[in-house]
Amino acid sequence: MSEQIREQVSAFLDGELPNSETELLLKRLTRDAELRESFGRYALIGEALRGTSPGVLTKGFSSRVNRAIDGEPMPAAAQPQRARSPRWWRPLAGVGVAAGVAAIAIVALQQRAAAPSLARLPPAAVIKVAPGMPVADSRPVVGATPAPAALTAQNREALSYTVPVASAEGASVMAPARLTNYVFAHSKYSSGLGQRGVLADMLIEEDAPAPVPAAPVKRAAQ
Amino acid sequence: MTGATRHRANWLVPCAAVGALLTALPVCCFGADDPREWLEKMNKALATRNYDGTFFHLSEGRVETMRVVHRVRGGRVTERLQSLDGSGREFVRNNDELTCYLPDQHTVLVEPRQDRGPFLGSLPQFGAAVNDFYRIESLPDTHVLGRAAHVIAVNPKDQFRFGYRLWLDEKTAMPLKTQLCDSRGAVIEQIFFARLDMPDTIADSELQPAVRTEGMHWVRQGPSRDKASAALSAYRASELPPGFHLTVQGAQTLGGASVPASHLVYSDGLATVSVFVEVERDAAAGQGAVPSGSPQDAPMQGLARVGSGYAFSTVIQGHPVTAVGEVPAQTVEFIAHSVRIVDGNQVPSH
Repeated sequence: MSEQIREQVSAFLDGELPNSETELLLKRLTRDAELRESFGRYALIGEALRGTSPGVLTKGFSSRVNRAIDGEPMPAAAQPQRARSPRWWRPLAGVGVAAGVAAIAIVALQQRAAAPSLARLPPAAVIKVAPGMPVADSRPVVGATPAPAALTAQNREALSYTVPVASAEGASVMAPARLTNYVFAHSKYSSGLGQRGVLADMLIEEDAPAPVPAAPVKRAAQ
Repeated sequence: MTGATRHRANWLVPCAAVGALLTALPVCCFGADDPREWLEKMNKALATRNYDGTFFHLSEGRVETMRVVHRVRGGRVTERLQSLDGSGREFVRNNDELTCYLPDQHTVLVEPRQDRGPFLGSLPQFGAAVNDFYRIESLPDTHVLGRAAHVIAVNPKDQFRFGYRLWLDEKTAMPLKTQLCDSRGAVIEQIFFARLDMPDTIADSELQPAVRTEGMHWVRQGPSRDKASAALSAYRASELPPGFHLTVQGAQTLGGASVPASHLVYSDGLATVSVFVEVERDAAAGQGAVPSGSPQDAPMQGLARVGSGYAFSTVIQGHPVTAVGEVPAQTVEFIAHSVRIVDGNQVPSH
């Protein structure tokens, strides 16, 4: 990221970028995936630096962002360590698409991605991610990445999250289609601004998925 | 814990609680800077104003750029939500019909939509019940997008729910920036506008999808044909996190399933959790002689991230149970684990 763009991003996050430049930055962001990544980091770091008083933008905020980017230890809160859901099912989540539509759409989705499911777990097991987990999302999930040296409480919590694993025998009974449909059905009742997040999620492009043959989904219901 | 287990409302009849919640509190009760009044203004602006904006959606370390266009003309609401980052996906809502253009799936989905809330969402009224579990306050004013902004925090009072922070434009009450936060204040998801115009008129062309639909597969959702059965009504959460109560009960025939699942909705007035019980499916079916309900026999158990919330699945009394909602992991776990049969001889012990 060039110094000029970095300054633009900082100014934008501080609410100080003129409208004309904001338009340019936006155009650049929509074209440049790498820039978006950096931008995301900036914004996250910004939140971390601002702590729990988001209403107050402190003076020198931008320079502190820059310092943080330049290699000072990133605050733990800036490193999201949540288990990710498999992205493949997200495109429809939350639209409130009802049963029939969902079923058809899911078939389409399953042709492109493996059928990750919630793990079948031994009681009280700590979840492990299967190596080479064939999820459509290539970004790291918890457990697949080395744990940061200093775990915050939040991170520790995150490590116990179940992450999708490759569909094991019998484990796909309720597998992805079912979970997706639950989310559909729920979304009609999902409250307030929560729905907005789900909608936004649905528009997100999947990471270029490695084509993985879809595991057949067993249906114990029938 | 709550009166949930006492509810025996008719099938498919949404309980009154949600509606009651949305019933307006008289605005005159609040002072000029009352955060509740600000939220009311925001809801009104989101639903009734024309706007055209580009915003960023940050979640799980990822940022996406999107555009939203919202037009109200002659009592008709048309809305378009578009990804600008390349997926080409778009939603267009015309009053109560939602069309989802998914070019990467070669699919267009059309479905009737009863809730007419704007794409950008809204927050329910903050009645007394909500105040027991959330603290709502104004924070010092600041600037977002070069505009003066009023900042409101909706803080959960315990760890069973998420909170919000909202930066509302002083002039229009539009949410220039919103954050979903956990009870420690850590940001889970964030949306902020890079550009937000509120024109008097919006041309039809701005609401047309950019997607070319030739050759795409159109799927239109027909009417629901769910049936109720006595068995479906037999389940309830026997215990709930503080403040949650049953608001809706019904049956949903989910995609790929041949029989309906029991669907219960619990709410604390702001957050909602759905519980699905596959009453007519025995978790042990076809899996040998393992006693049903044994954890070893569970077809699926565990937690998954869904959108800005979580889903948790387990097996209760031999039946798969899943709780899902925009709440912390422990809330869906708590509720799913507490589901019990409440009919006949199998009344839960608590």
